[in-house]
Amino acid sequence: MVGLSVGEKHFIQGGIAQDLRSDGRKRLTYRPIYVETGVIPQAHGSARVRLGATDVIASVKAELGKPSALQPDKGKIAIYVDCSPTAAPMFEGRGGEELSTELSVALQRCLLGGKSGAGAGIDPTSLVVVEGKVCWDLYIDGLVISSDGNLLDALAAAIKAALSNTGIPKVDVAVETRSDEQPEVNISDEEFLQFDTSGIPVIVTLTKVGRHYIVDATSEEESQMSSAVSISVNRKGHICGLTKRGGVGLDPSIILDMISVAKHVSEQLINKLDSEIAAAEASEEES
Amino acid sequence: MCFFPLFRSKENRLTMGLPNASGDLSTEVEVDAFRRLFPLRFYEKHLLESIRPDARPLGRARETTIALALAKIGSTTMLAAIKMEVMTPSLETPDEGCIAIDFHMPPICSPIVRPGRPAEGAPVVAKQLSDTILSSGMINLKELSLVSGKAAWMAYLDIYCLDADGALFDTALLSAVAAFSHLEIPVVSLNDDGKIVLSEEQGLSDREPVNKEKRKINLSSVPFSLTCVLHKNYILADPTAEEESIMDTIVTVVLDSSSQLVSLHKPGGTVLAYTSAIQDCIALTRQRVKELQKILEEGISGMEVD
Amino acid sequence: MAAKPGSAPVTYSPNLGQKTRPPIFKDNDLDWVRPDGRGFHQCRPAFFRTGAVNSASGSAYAELGSTKVIVSVFGPRESKKAMMYSDTGRLNCNVSYTTFATPVRGQGSDHKEFSSMLLKALEGAIMLETFPKTTVDVFALVLESGGSDLPVVISCASLALADAGIMMYDLVAAVSVSCLGKNLVIDPVLEEESYQDGSLMLTCMPSRYEVTQLTFTGEWSTPDINEAMQLCLDACSKLGKVMRTCLKEAASASQE
Repeated sequence: MVGLSVGEKHFIQGGIAQDLRSDGRKRLTYRPIYVETGVIPQAHGSARVRLGATDVIASVKAELGKPSALQPDKGKIAIYVDCSPTAAPMFEGRGGEELSTELSVALQRCLLGGKSGAGAGIDPTSLVVVEGKVCWDLYIDGLVISSDGNLLDALAAAIKAALSNTGIPKVDVAVETRSDEQPEVNISDEEFLQFDTSGIPVIVTLTKVGRHYIVDATSEEESQMSSAVSISVNRKGHICGLTKRGGVGLDPSIILDMISVAKHVSEQLINKLDSEIAAAEASEEES
Repeated sequence: MCFFPLFRSKENRLTMGLPNASGDLSTEVEVDAFRRLFPLRFYEKHLLESIRPDARPLGRARETTIALALAKIGSTTMLAAIKMEVMTPSLETPDEGCIAIDFHMPPICSPIVRPGRPAEGAPVVAKQLSDTILSSGMINLKELSLVSGKAAWMAYLDIYCLDADGALFDTALLSAVAAFSHLEIPVVSLNDDGKIVLSEEQGLSDREPVNKEKRKINLSSVPFSLTCVLHKNYILADPTAEEESIMDTIVTVVLDSSSQLVSLHKPGGTVLAYTSAIQDCIALTRQRVKELQKILEEGISGMEVD
Repeated sequence: MAAKPGSAPVTYSPNLGQKTRPPIFKDNDLDWVRPDGRGFHQCRPAFFRTGAVNSASGSAYAELGSTKVIVSVFGPRESKKAMMYSDTGRLNCNVSYTTFATPVRGQGSDHKEFSSMLLKALEGAIMLETFPKTTVDVFALVLESGGSDLPVVISCASLALADAGIMMYDLVAAVSVSCLGKNLVIDPVLEEESYQDGSLMLTCMPSRYEVTQLTFTGEWSTPDINEAMQLCLDACSKLGKVMRTCLKEAASASQE
């Protein structure tokens, strides 16, 4: 919890109203984004993203599994977020559980698309090895190391970076298998497949303070919010998910306006993020 | 399923502050304050007049209704449901099915139940229910057999308490009995893989079903129960939650439809029950069984009209 | 609790769950009929009743098609010991399912996602400052899951809060829409939800025309969003009227 004096509160609110925030940013400017990839060698892919003092890590682990009977042509993807007690004392014990659930649910909603898989950032059909028999199960874990607001956007960016960093081993399927048997598979140690990550959306959270909304709020600014909306937008400018993050009610027209603002902001964010990811991968290869 | 009876009786809440025989209390507010401060004295004043705060005589149970598998005694409400699944019977009993009984008290039912941890009395009621239903011989487990040694029914009986206001066991047992008397077993056949499947859905209607004659379970000797609270020399039938909390000696008698004793449960308490008190409890239960049998029959025939 | 000690046999349902995805309609197939024969923009008839649970401070029962839920409200009452001082009230929500709510026998466990969503949908409508230092508990039990469970729980919870006399700016009505191919169907049933391409849930305070919670899944274009939101807002205002009537009936019945 951020303890602010009345004066500080006014300063933050006044700054936002005048389009000059405490750290010198404009309302719709992000803090500089730093991306590092391959930070966890044991995972199939990983990335660390820093937004100011907000610091998160995402890792991707793939395991061979069996597709569910209802959707034999799709692999399974699970997203789970953990808030480390190092980020804030309130996350100690079970304190971070509520926030963890909220973030996990919001990420699943924004990245995994509808039940049928339409609109998903990662095409679940690309994870199938043998239909109805073998598929890859992706376990995406997010870890919040340090929290200074806007966790959801940072986590989504980290997951996007981790997925572009992910190499899934190539799988050879033994030919002679009867229809009712589980086929034998060979996992290659050398050949890896990359994901097409261009369709993965970014999340833009608009925090409403007073009559205006800002992107990439710090915790101090978040403490002054009246409500917040997280919108995930892909490269095509389509909305892939939206969650209102509590707070007071909003007029429907304001929400529509927020959506159009988010679309505009997302273009710059996607470009920025893509170049950062490319730079990070290049520096990883060099070292 | 219609849950209309859920909303029928709300008079408990309205009659609570009923002005009573004790003339020294003039206004309802004072009655309420007295009730909260000295609950036991409040009750004893009533007992002297052989009446209870909800205007019942001591030996009378609350209004009882049954609709499908929803039973309601006073405002205590229980919903029971049976799900039939198929299992391979054990080697010792190749031609018997099985019944698994579970009792739940979700947080909606009472202010003292919190989410995330089991309710205080729930495991006790669950054990009592499972003992009573299985030992009463109400259901012949052989009737649940499908193919001897190969397949038998496993009946999962889940009872949910929707509103807890005393006499939980009585209401739960009543809802369980109602659920079993409404149970309709689907027609099933053995498919090529040796699994039991629904005949109609699998297009196996030409095949001989394995349970053609066993579509309903015969209930022999149905158990009914009455819980009484003992306090000094008084016996209060069908206690409310308030009465159970103030006077802690509880006796539960279960009799079957031919008035034979199935079980008697007195888990401690400060009052020692003499033989005469126990006999009185049994006599009250005997009367109550007749009432309940009638209510259950009405509930079943009411359904058939629909 | 198995009937015989030491035996926990593996069981299976004779209903094999051969649910193949039905021939999903193509882009222009408007002849498709919904499983319950409703029009695409037609909600199921809603039935609400307050006062279902006497031991709660307030409660409500809701039934839309085969979706049946009960919500109890307790409090305002003492907050948990570990809680810090707060000059506004706290709201605590929990949603759970019965073991027989879903077609496959479940574990009847708590639904964390819905619990958190219920909280977010209600907190904007409740005047938390009217019960400082204390907690209001909203507990929901889904007796039967027939689709659109969360919206029904939310609407029902706001009625239960009203029944408990908790001060609110307005009732909260909730409706969801499923996107199937290019069509939008309102108030989807379980079957439709299982193969939807996207969904939108909107909860709002109808008299104030304010959205308290909004979620999307799947890929949406701006015109689709506008259409779906308008659809939900209209349905919410109708639902709000039904809920209001239910409260008025309860109030006039208790006066008599």
